[in-house]
Amino acid sequence: MNFFAQLKLAAVSLRYNKSRSFLTTLGIIIGVMTVIAILSLLEGLNRKIKTEFSMLGSQTIFIQKVEWMISTPGNRQQLDFEELRKRPNFSIKDAEALALLPTIEVAVPTIDKGVGNLKRLGNTAQNCRLKGTAEGGDLTSNWVVEEGRFISREDRLHRRMVCVLGAYVADNLFGAENPIDKTIDVENHRYTVIGVLEEKGTMFGNPQDNVVIIPVSTYLKYNRMPRGWRSIWGGLTIEALPKRGVPLEDAMGDVEELLRIRRGLRYDEDNDFGLNTQQMIMSALQGITSTLWIVMIGIAAISLIVGGIGIMNIMLVSVAERTREIGIRKAVGARDHDILLQFLLESVLLAMLGGLVGILIGLGIARLVSALVPFLDAASPWWTVVLGFGFSAAVGIFFGIYPAQKAAKLNPIQAIRYE
Amino acid sequence: MIRLEKVSKVYDSGHVVVEALTDIDLTVDEGEYVAIMGSSGSGKSTLMHILGCLDNPTSGSYVLAGYDVSAMEPDALAKVRCSSVGFVFQQFNLLPRLTAAQNVELPLLYSSRPASEREGVVEEMLSKVGLADRGHHRPNELSGGESQRVAIARALANDPAILLADEPTGNLDTTTEEEIMSILDELNSQGRTVIVVTHDETVARHAKRTVHLLDGRIV
Repeated sequence: MNFFAQLKLAAVSLRYNKSRSFLTTLGIIIGVMTVIAILSLLEGLNRKIKTEFSMLGSQTIFIQKVEWMISTPGNRQQLDFEELRKRPNFSIKDAEALALLPTIEVAVPTIDKGVGNLKRLGNTAQNCRLKGTAEGGDLTSNWVVEEGRFISREDRLHRRMVCVLGAYVADNLFGAENPIDKTIDVENHRYTVIGVLEEKGTMFGNPQDNVVIIPVSTYLKYNRMPRGWRSIWGGLTIEALPKRGVPLEDAMGDVEELLRIRRGLRYDEDNDFGLNTQQMIMSALQGITSTLWIVMIGIAAISLIVGGIGIMNIMLVSVAERTREIGIRKAVGARDHDILLQFLLESVLLAMLGGLVGILIGLGIARLVSALVPFLDAASPWWTVVLGFGFSAAVGIFFGIYPAQKAAKLNPIQAIRYE
Repeated sequence: MIRLEKVSKVYDSGHVVVEALTDIDLTVDEGEYVAIMGSSGSGKSTLMHILGCLDNPTSGSYVLAGYDVSAMEPDALAKVRCSSVGFVFQQFNLLPRLTAAQNVELPLLYSSRPASEREGVVEEMLSKVGLADRGHHRPNELSGGESQRVAIARALANDPAILLADEPTGNLDTTTEEEIMSILDELNSQGRTVIVVTHDETVARHAKRTVHLLDGRIV
């Protein structure tokens, strides 16, 4: 019998027992559905993480007193908060020294804080941040100046009362008006607007456009840090950008060495500072998602096995019920492998139909979740669908082979007499 | 056409050894109409299974249409069944899920005949047994006589060398019995080799030769 006729035969047989076929595939449906839904969401999350972090500036080294990923699964050391607190703050001079490194393009001292709502002529911009930075700070933080200019060296050296506005601040305080050369008040100081930034959007739900950027020297003039004052996250953050074409690792090596010298660390002392990069967070998050992957593959494997056992069970029942049919088919000339193929195709078809339904429902769930959760977009790469299909077909073959073999091996004389 | 020499069949279940057939010598020529008679337990079913290539003899040789089938593997036997043997059973043994036409088509599927040919053959076979208009009915919509006629049509689909009928009228009333037997008679008169296994004298009388079996031997 040719393959196509066999396939038709299997389809007819499944249709004959519609509700049973459906119930049998439920295990596969649920298994594949879970895999597809979670894979799509995880993949979406991964892509989201990548695009969000590109906002930070993928090459920028954020030099701070503490490492961001201070307690990752691979680094379970006990945190000594006292030690962290006592670490010396970074200074403008540190930034100037770093900028001289041959592998570093710019090293910008920065500091920021929340300043709440800003008001101007009855307009309000809510929940703004004030950030002190220097020339080159637009490069390290991936800002693009839409109008006017960014903070310059002269602004910094002369502690000028100038500011660059984030898109949100500009829109809310000035509306259709051109903000350039107008003034705004922040914490009772008046700044002249010299530039407006392009919109950046949000990063993990945090708005990025609610900033007012001023020269770091101006910032420090009005926000004096008491002598000897230390806090874990306090002090300056130096944002350093490697020169074009210099590998990030090389630049980080230079920065580390210079900072160790400047901070007087002995060869056997650990770093008392952190060189933070976007990559570090990304690889940590990828560590988390890959753990999720393994867990999910385990769950999927279990549900597919359970689904497969369900299929095997029902196929065994089916073989027993149709013993007589098998006998008749053999009497009219069916060979063992015709019968084998007939029942195997039935179980594979059953599993693949389950897989198809599972894929569709899984994609639906992924879409639904991404519609309900604002920062999560499901992504369903084609290979997840292929994977779902492939696995359900494999389950159909693996768990269908035993019942099919049982059917094929039946003795025609006994089978035909079976009541 | 059919030549059995010293065919024996022994069932050995481990505890009991049953000799179902002993030294059967039987020759059936092409176009013959043979009845195999015997009471239950005489071995006529076993003989029919061997004749129909559903089973191998324990010893002896069986040549069917030029093939020595006595020691063939199951798949080879299936091929011979497909091409050279047509079965008609007491219980009709139609597949309940399939229509009459699909039942007749079954042997054609297993002999891998192309779809274009199959339709014509099915129609021809059904009209041969007078059921050309009932092809789309399922077995549960057919009477006993009609079911058996569909079974005959199915048995003939691959134009087999022999038609084997096992108590073909056992489940039918006398009028229908006549109907079925007249179909077999007609097939034989057209040159088909027909072997009927029965315990019924009236059925056996249709045949031109009768072979009596008793305790596994031809008497």
